[in-house]
Amino acid sequence: MLFGRKHKNPIKIVDKEVVDWKYTTCGYCSTGCSIEVGLDKTGKAVSSRGVASADVNRGKLCLKGIFEHELFYSENRGRVPLMRNQYYEDFQEAGWDQTLDRTASEIKRIQDTYGRDAFAIVSTGQIMTEEFYTLGKLARGVLGTNNYDGNTTLCMSSAVSGYKRSFGSDGPPGCYDDFEHTECLLAIGSNLPEQHPIIFWRLKQALEKRKFPVIVVDPRVTMMAQMADIHLPVTPGTDVVLLNSLAHVILDEGLQDREYIESHANGFSEYSELVKEYDPVSASRICGIDEDTIRNVARLYAKANAAMSIWTMGINQSTHGSDGVVGINNLNLITGNVGKLGGTSLSITGQCNAMGTREWSSCSGLPGYRALEHEQDRTDIANFWGIDKEFFPKKRGMFQTDIFPAIETGQIKGLWIIATNPMTSMSDTARIRKTLEKLEFLVVQDAYEDVETNEYSHVYFPAGLWAEKEGCFTNTERRVNLIRNVLPPYADSKPDLWIFNQMEKRFEQGKKITFPETAEGVFEELRQLSKGRMLDYSGMSYDKIEKQRGIQWPCTEGDETGNARLYTDGKFQHEDQKAKLIPLPFVDNNERPDDGYPFWLNSGRVVEHFHTRTRTGKLGNLNKFSPTPYMEMNPDAASELGVEHGSYARLISRRGDAVVMVQLTQRVAPNMVFIPFHFHECVNRLSLGLLDPHSRQPAYKQCSVKIEPVADQSAAAVRNLAARSF
Amino acid sequence: MYRFREDEQDYAVLPDVKPPELNQYGKPIQLVEENDALAKKSLNINGDSSIGENPNRYKQHGFYFNADNCISCHACESACSEKNDLPAHLAFRSVGYIEGGTYPAYQRLNISMACNHCDDPVCLKGCPTRAYTKFAEYGAVLQDPDICFGCGYCTWVCPYNAPQLDTNAGHVSKCNMCVDRLEQGLKPACVSACLAGALDFGVIETKPENRDQLEVQIPGFPDPEITHPNIRFQQNKSLPREMTRPDSMPLRYERDEQGQGAYKAKVRKKNKDRQWGLSKLRSREDPLVVFTLITQTVVGAFMALFLGNEVLGFESLSIEHSPIAVPVFLFTLLALETFALVLSTMHLGKPHRFYRSFNNLRYSPVSREVAGIAVFFNMLGVYTLLTVLPSIFQEMPKDLITSLQSFFGWAAVVAGPVALYFMCKIYHIKARPFWNHWQVYTSFYGSMLSQGSLLTGLVFAGVLAGKGASYIELMQLLSVTVLAGLVLEAVGLVFHARDLEKRGGEGAASLHEQFTTFGKTYISRNIGLALSIVAVSVLVLSGVDGWGGYSGWFLTGVMLLATSLVGRALFYVLVIPTTMPGAFFWRNQSFQEHARETGLANMQQVGVVADIH
Repeated sequence: MLFGRKHKNPIKIVDKEVVDWKYTTCGYCSTGCSIEVGLDKTGKAVSSRGVASADVNRGKLCLKGIFEHELFYSENRGRVPLMRNQYYEDFQEAGWDQTLDRTASEIKRIQDTYGRDAFAIVSTGQIMTEEFYTLGKLARGVLGTNNYDGNTTLCMSSAVSGYKRSFGSDGPPGCYDDFEHTECLLAIGSNLPEQHPIIFWRLKQALEKRKFPVIVVDPRVTMMAQMADIHLPVTPGTDVVLLNSLAHVILDEGLQDREYIESHANGFSEYSELVKEYDPVSASRICGIDEDTIRNVARLYAKANAAMSIWTMGINQSTHGSDGVVGINNLNLITGNVGKLGGTSLSITGQCNAMGTREWSSCSGLPGYRALEHEQDRTDIANFWGIDKEFFPKKRGMFQTDIFPAIETGQIKGLWIIATNPMTSMSDTARIRKTLEKLEFLVVQDAYEDVETNEYSHVYFPAGLWAEKEGCFTNTERRVNLIRNVLPPYADSKPDLWIFNQMEKRFEQGKKITFPETAEGVFEELRQLSKGRMLDYSGMSYDKIEKQRGIQWPCTEGDETGNARLYTDGKFQHEDQKAKLIPLPFVDNNERPDDGYPFWLNSGRVVEHFHTRTRTGKLGNLNKFSPTPYMEMNPDAASELGVEHGSYARLISRRGDAVVMVQLTQRVAPNMVFIPFHFHECVNRLSLGLLDPHSRQPAYKQCSVKIEPVADQSAAAVRNLAARSF
Repeated sequence: MYRFREDEQDYAVLPDVKPPELNQYGKPIQLVEENDALAKKSLNINGDSSIGENPNRYKQHGFYFNADNCISCHACESACSEKNDLPAHLAFRSVGYIEGGTYPAYQRLNISMACNHCDDPVCLKGCPTRAYTKFAEYGAVLQDPDICFGCGYCTWVCPYNAPQLDTNAGHVSKCNMCVDRLEQGLKPACVSACLAGALDFGVIETKPENRDQLEVQIPGFPDPEITHPNIRFQQNKSLPREMTRPDSMPLRYERDEQGQGAYKAKVRKKNKDRQWGLSKLRSREDPLVVFTLITQTVVGAFMALFLGNEVLGFESLSIEHSPIAVPVFLFTLLALETFALVLSTMHLGKPHRFYRSFNNLRYSPVSREVAGIAVFFNMLGVYTLLTVLPSIFQEMPKDLITSLQSFFGWAAVVAGPVALYFMCKIYHIKARPFWNHWQVYTSFYGSMLSQGSLLTGLVFAGVLAGKGASYIELMQLLSVTVLAGLVLEAVGLVFHARDLEKRGGEGAASLHEQFTTFGKTYISRNIGLALSIVAVSVLVLSGVDGWGGYSGWFLTGVMLLATSLVGRALFYVLVIPTTMPGAFFWRNQSFQEHARETGLANMQQVGVVADIH
């Protein structure tokens, strides 16, 4: 044996000399991992680690979490507030008072001139629940605009809508622990390894202990599809047909849970009538899955003692997004798989606090899953806030995807954007540019000054990010978890809560309402407002949340812990406490490939990036895995067009064009390409984003393009580089 | 330092296991006995003098990789980079992949790879500075960046791309097996971070729970016979017969026609025309192109001078007949070699540590080469002094000076080729099949003969021509060695191409690159070589003399120089190591080149070093 030397040299290994670990919850996706941030003796955040005793992640983190402490020091953070008269002028640095005053006066001017609803607010899924609630209070209770929505319309509104239609309320009924109990998992349009690696790990752990069938529906051969027992490479946009057909087989063969349907669901007869039309033979011609496979999956799912479905954007971002969710709920209702161990309809959410905004932001109504349409809810909140209930509109206003067209045509004149980046994230970039430049006043509030939407703003508020603040996130299994304040906000940036509170002070109406200064003070209001409701927080406190590493609502006052599942008693939130089986007729309204535009364009997330890369694009150890936009393209299709691996190609849709690098792989079908959605000036120059009629969510994943090789590769490289400031 | 947490989860804790006595290569797993002098010592990590209590502390440990499970989530790489505080362009562990099949029957095999802490650590043997130690504790092969001078030789010899040369920092660093965690009873950071049940760690030849294979190889992994790596695999899921790489290496992996047997690396032929590829001819190894050529020329030139005079009695080569030319020539040779040595030193990441090159004479061909050249250089130096300035030795008897002169001359004549022998040995690298052929000898000694003799010939033919004397006889003699060198080089090239094609794999892939990316350059070089042979033959047979003939010889010399430069540059840029597959961006050579060319690399977060020279 070779040792190299007789006397050992001492060993040097990097020691980050952490002296203090601070408890937080990850600020990227909705998995809700508990993270500790390590501070060294100078107070610098130098390390992140998963909290070993946290049930969600059990000590693990994905790569984004592993480097999350680096965010505090990432490039191009907003340092000071900025201001300018016109978007095409240069920004001037300004103080908080100056910019807040200007913003307040612009809001007043626009509302006085064009009406209250002419000023819109588009928020996010990224800030704390307490901040969402405060923003909602400001929007609904002080400014009184009904055009207030969050970017969750781009990711989760189909799930919300589907849950409401089926169960009478939003709120994912299951949890990760269901993997430990289920006998069959159906994952539709959900690519856990890439999008929710920690949830994938929980699934994998369950599978290591006890094997159960995993069925994955995805047009692309993702790693999730590859590890599945059955992969259904469905034709884009036809999930509803597949779901109807699965139900057809189940009902046709009498595999349904008759007792459950009878006791807990309405609408069976209309539903079963419609489902009759979707025999597997006819369905197979639409959805591209052969009839034997449809029958096999239906039987497997129905015969399992407990079966669960998970889904993500593959379902939600579709013109049938809400219907897709209802279709999954239908499937679980007829098989009796709601609210039981291992049997559930679990939407896997996108953003760290998409749930928080759904619960408390008042975007779609009033806080605590209350609706503007219900008089009692309006009264309760008006009384709690101390304002006149007539101040509230009686019907929900516009969704984000309707606010933008309303700006385009002049109904909305002012906009406040908080922690979201529509310049990159919304369909048809050219149209978004045209829209934003029409605004009389745009204020952008973001942790990053270089967030692309800032190009069109008049005022920029630099916000603190993640653990520069304190508050709660709710994860996709309804677990409320805590972010302790780790560091003060960068430079002169401020917590979003502080910014909302300062804004409120500048309005007469604000003086009628109490706005607690601290996040914990706001949390107290949430506890009170949730008492006795489905999303009961009243049994929680910050310390208790930290101790239990997150608590799943409902957690009623006096309860030791939260509750893992909803609807365990079979009682739903519709007035008659029954769920609804809803027939889902299918109309194919997608922009399908044709002779002119022969490829499906699919988009999605990659594990190393988050949303529009404002954070991950700056951290080398994440960004290096995909530093520049690319598309996955089938090599057979590429060779016909003369498109080469590693070269740039141009895609053209009916909206515009994009230049991307080509990665040839058989992972995608010959008539489909896939582009990660994270990059600026890329996939959304092409996408159509037809809106779902119920949820107003755009169908990002279905449109058609043509592809041509690029002769001048260096010009393409220059063009690509020009679009990459990070 | 990392401490065991109260609530540490089982997956992160090293289990106690009962391994077999011997590993699959027949080596004992117990590295030293408990009472050995090497045992029961502290690892002295960051000055901590405690001694770990792991019961398996002196057993060889290794990674376990279940390729069926890896999802390429990058958690392992990231946990490693976070722990070791690595900049984006470096990684001790990397995930690459190979893929195959046709949609939707497509499969991707991800491979996460770090250092394999080999039984036969070629890095340790190759390192001239002795920066490497294989520890009796856990069998960890650790490298000390504070000793390393950044020559990068370990990155050449390692088949797995484990040592990482940081051209910014000027040194190599690599996976340290997280011995600090092992001492605490914890598995390495990468293993503890794995999200798919793919990566594990423990005493070698022990299976983690729920796993049933202990293979030493998977598709895409280099031949384990090179280093006997301490990694074991599981790969049960059947894969398509042919797997390809997403990076630019012209390689694929294929089973035999029946879809049986192990996957073998084969050339992935691209339908590419012959190109010049001139922009790609430059590389980080440019200084070595010049260094090797000069050293070979100087050795050859001196041999021609010394042997021509001493043995064959060509008086025009003696100092008596050429009292100016010989001293100038000798000092020029010394100056050239000094320049070459400086160049090779500047090629180091940390040139001021050059003296460490002699640290590993026992194993490293680099140390031996440097020592050999140093001996040659000094012998040549002393010979030069004795020859050119005998006056400074006037105290000594004249006979003694003559004997010493002859002794040092002969010593340099012996030391030169010996040094070149070690220079050739440097390229005897199994992980670099393009080099791993006797053609290196024919090329290096060929250069010595052809360039050295031609240089000497050109100088002294010029002297003779200047005197109006004939140089035909001298050139007749020297052209024998020039031709021998050229023919040797040509014969080597022919066999090299033939053998590499036959061997297949990375070597054949290099050949493919040679014929395509550098096709025109390669052909020009061969034409240059052939023309040189013809020119020398014609010049010597025609018996031309005087300045007219001299210009012919001179032009031949220029042609030979150009041919050699191009040939040697090709030698360095064409090598394709047996490393692990990369991904589409990360560890993809063509993307890295693209990022450098277009300026993408100027953003540090792209993870590509902007300037590698």
